[in-house]
Amino acid sequence: MTTEQANFRFFKVFVPAMILYVATTAGIVWLSDRHALSPHVLYVLTLVPIGAIFAAFWAQWRFAMELDEFLRLIQIKGTLIGVACIMIIASGWGQLERLADVPRLPVFWLLPVFWTVQGLATTVISKREGVF
Amino acid sequence: MKNRLRALRAERGWSQSVLGDQLDVSRQTINAIEAGRYDPSLPLAFKIARLFGQSIEDIFDDQD
Repeated sequence: MTTEQANFRFFKVFVPAMILYVATTAGIVWLSDRHALSPHVLYVLTLVPIGAIFAAFWAQWRFAMELDEFLRLIQIKGTLIGVACIMIIASGWGQLERLADVPRLPVFWLLPVFWTVQGLATTVISKREGVF
Repeated sequence: MKNRLRALRAERGWSQSVLGDQLDVSRQTINAIEAGRYDPSLPLAFKIARLFGQSIEDIFDDQD
């Protein structure tokens, strides 16, 4: 499989998954603001954006597996930087919450932060390695 | 790791894309190997050696 084919297959799943994630998240907030939904209904509705996140990560995994070894290494490095960033923010802030009584971190934002850092890190590494 | 991949490719008049297609890797990977920025895995090193009809040691040099 060529890199272009792998790219196409990745975005074909990733973009719809992220659109579904944003749309259903906004939709659930909109609904819960206007209607008194029971917690059980909210749990069930929340399964949709969770499924979209799962699909996005599955696409990311498949993409990495379909690339050749050099490009896969770049993807894995970028992903590790993203994971490290999230773990440092979550664990570091968690310690502060436990010990210093700081405001609670809205963990909802960890996913967008991860994708942003992962994307930037992968781009910088690709540039440094002469990929483009 | 130093290697003779660029010279071997040039001898045959192949572009990086053509060599990449024959090895089932991207042009970027060939470029990174030739520039010494990336050392190929053992399976890929064997594929390269077989394609050029040489041993891995003849193509790759791990001595400075």
